[in-house]
Amino acid sequence: MAVNGLLECRKISKIFGGIEALTDVDLKVAPNSITGVIGPNGSGKTTLFNIISGALPPTGGDVIFKGKKISKMGPAQVCRLGIARTYQLVRPFNSLSAMENVLIGLGFGRAASMAKKDRVAEAFRILRMVGLEGKMNHMAGSLTLVEKKHLEIARALATAPEVLLLDEVVSGLNPTEVTRTMGTIQQIRESGITIIMIEHILKVVLSLCERVLVLDHGVRIAEAPPEEVVRDAGVIDAYIGKFEDEEDLHA
Amino acid sequence: MSADLIQLLVGGVLLGGIYGLAAFGLSITFGVLNVLNLAHGEFLMLGSLLSYGLFVGLGINPFISAVLVIPVFMLLGVFFYLLLLKPIMDKPPHQLLVASILVTMGASLFIEDVTSFFWERPVTGISYSLPPMEFSGVVISSTRLLILLFIFALACGMQLYLKKTFVGKSIRAIVQGREGAKMVGIPISRVSALAFSIGMALAASAGAFYVTLFTVTPVMGIPLTIKYLCVVVLGGLGSIVGSVFGGLILGIAETLTAYYWGAEWSPTIAFILLIIILIIKPEGLFGAKK
Amino acid sequence: MSRGGKKLFYSVVLLLWAFLAALPFLGFSYGVVWVFLLAVYFTLALSYDIVGGYLGYMNLGHASFFGLGAYTTAILLNQGFNLFSALPGAMLLAAAFAAVISYPLFRLRGAYFALATFGLVSLIEVLTNNLRDLTGGSGGISTPPGDHTLPSYYLVLAVAGGTMVLSQIIARSKFGLALFSIREDEEVAKAFGVPTTLYKGLALIISSVPASVVGGIYVWHMTYISPESVFGLEIALSPIIMAMLGGTGIMIGPLVGAVFITLVQEFLWTKVPYFHLAMYGTVLVLLGRFMPGGLVRIRWIRPFIQRLDLGEAVDYFRNVDAERMP
Repeated sequence: MAVNGLLECRKISKIFGGIEALTDVDLKVAPNSITGVIGPNGSGKTTLFNIISGALPPTGGDVIFKGKKISKMGPAQVCRLGIARTYQLVRPFNSLSAMENVLIGLGFGRAASMAKKDRVAEAFRILRMVGLEGKMNHMAGSLTLVEKKHLEIARALATAPEVLLLDEVVSGLNPTEVTRTMGTIQQIRESGITIIMIEHILKVVLSLCERVLVLDHGVRIAEAPPEEVVRDAGVIDAYIGKFEDEEDLHA
Repeated sequence: MSADLIQLLVGGVLLGGIYGLAAFGLSITFGVLNVLNLAHGEFLMLGSLLSYGLFVGLGINPFISAVLVIPVFMLLGVFFYLLLLKPIMDKPPHQLLVASILVTMGASLFIEDVTSFFWERPVTGISYSLPPMEFSGVVISSTRLLILLFIFALACGMQLYLKKTFVGKSIRAIVQGREGAKMVGIPISRVSALAFSIGMALAASAGAFYVTLFTVTPVMGIPLTIKYLCVVVLGGLGSIVGSVFGGLILGIAETLTAYYWGAEWSPTIAFILLIIILIIKPEGLFGAKK
Repeated sequence: MSRGGKKLFYSVVLLLWAFLAALPFLGFSYGVVWVFLLAVYFTLALSYDIVGGYLGYMNLGHASFFGLGAYTTAILLNQGFNLFSALPGAMLLAAAFAAVISYPLFRLRGAYFALATFGLVSLIEVLTNNLRDLTGGSGGISTPPGDHTLPSYYLVLAVAGGTMVLSQIIARSKFGLALFSIREDEEVAKAFGVPTTLYKGLALIISSVPASVVGGIYVWHMTYISPESVFGLEIALSPIIMAMLGGTGIMIGPLVGAVFITLVQEFLWTKVPYFHLAMYGTVLVLLGRFMPGGLVRIRWIRPFIQRLDLGEAVDYFRNVDAERMP
């Protein structure tokens, strides 16, 4: 299937001190879609996110965003162009309030030119979207894990991104929280934002994503709609079988 | 090359060796504890004063003092660690940073002030020397050569200790990564205490020689710590070869500066070197990452 | 509730300033000198806090701005300039100096930054000692004599007040929020578009301005300074100790710390002539060991400070995970 790429990775490779973390990974992401990235631990998923978001330069290959090469840019510039992210191990600004965390995203992302009054209203709207409006004056460090994850989503949304990179935002949550977070992700996509998500819980990937990229040892071993990926016996045996949340497959 | 210049270089190398040894002590404690001990310079000063006291009071020569101070300061190091650093080690990172700066800076001020109360006059070197030697017309003090040999032996011994013994390997493992070292069952706190006391003993031992060459004052501790910083940034973290290398650069630079521009300018060299490295080669420096 | 707290705080501060302004007419001539020094230290502590508290980089070299300001003013006064053209000169020089050193120094972080900036003070002290023609060397420098007690008192009060307003404006601005975010996690701040290098430099430049101005006023008041009196350990460290003791990253912290330390100095220093630095050292050790958050963050004081709602990080230094334990 030929897709019209909003974001495209061309033969991305990354070498850390002689160890190849990613080898010639290709990925095309269509506008307003949800793409899942799966693979065992250490398969290079987060490294791929770090490269797309500009936190790390690739050793080889290019990242193209809306026809522009962004793989030489720093994270701030990539953020201003419209790619925002969350962190696998949450990193909110701990001693700032939830509101202030979102205001940082608003103040320095693509919405930087907004007037101060509008920024506060907009931050409130975003916090409500992720269900944190009641905690807006709480210090981020005092929130629970699920709230911190939602706060990271809110902070990323505040930069008015076109592409949102979600790094395991559902992992570690209980079933109720998972369902709620999935609803939030769906809502974000409906607002016109393209999502790429790293996720271990297969149920989430199957029900949300249109396409799934499977990585193993830094190599792309499949990129297809989720049903095909699951049908692919090789993928299941070799990789999905290794997942900790195996029962999710049958859920 | 003129005889003067050779003398000068020997002096610079010697000073560099002393800096390198003491700075390695700082770098190993930083590597293991992730705490920069701002009081480290005080221990060279204390080692110098102790060695001076032993020489004047009991006639013990500085080579024996350099060995004697090692157990004394290791004990002092363990005490310092248990009293001041261990209690703050469990704080979250940003608190640990602030707390460690406060605690070690406070200890530094305390040591400096109390020492200067009891030791008002600066101590002007030990008049200890062995008969000089002559190499093709160049007279070199054999004391200085012996000190160099001693420092070299100490550095080699340290290197062997770190490479071969279990504790030495544990120390290097913690420098590589604290969490990983904890996982494989290294007793972090005990090894930290030991590393800290080794670092302190190295500084004090270097101090025993420092006093044979230079004037020692109670207020020299903090400027010395800044020199160690320069050495550590030059030579890299946790490597004794790097520290000695960095120490040599600084020692020679200081000696040459004092000779050509005057002694009053040599205190500026460490800082200027530091700034230069930070401008031209920051990416290779661990300081920029930490 | 919080609005009331803020109003109360500002009213108290205004009243305090009004009282201090009236002080010379109430016949406390010794009090005037005392408050002058207190205000100098307070301004230094508060301007230190822009970098040390808001940005989270411990700049132990803050006194170099004070000393540069003092020396520049002294030299300009001796050249025949009046105070009001000398002070801007001092300010510009200190700011330019801050801009230049910010580039290499901000490549260091944490304890390395602290130590390197501390080295800066001794570097400048050595320079003032050595450049005798310009600075008078270790003998110090005198300015044209004259009794400037009253005008310098009002000037320092104005600068201290201005610095309070400045730090409040920063704390409430987008710029201030960005500084806080750098303190929390510089890498993430950068990833969210905060121009970290620029802002760190700006914070240092801004913090250098009040320090250099009070340096200038100080020398005008004293009419004599020496390298030791403006770069010595005590002047270099006491504003920082004040800020840390009171609590960094929050305007009221340096105020509490400055009052506390100057009171202690007043009652203790005069009685015990020795061990001043050792006592500072002990205070530092105890602070680091027991309350790196400072006095204003003591458990039973924090709620009152929070109620003032000064828009700053009262919660900084709070050990959340420990508190959440059942």
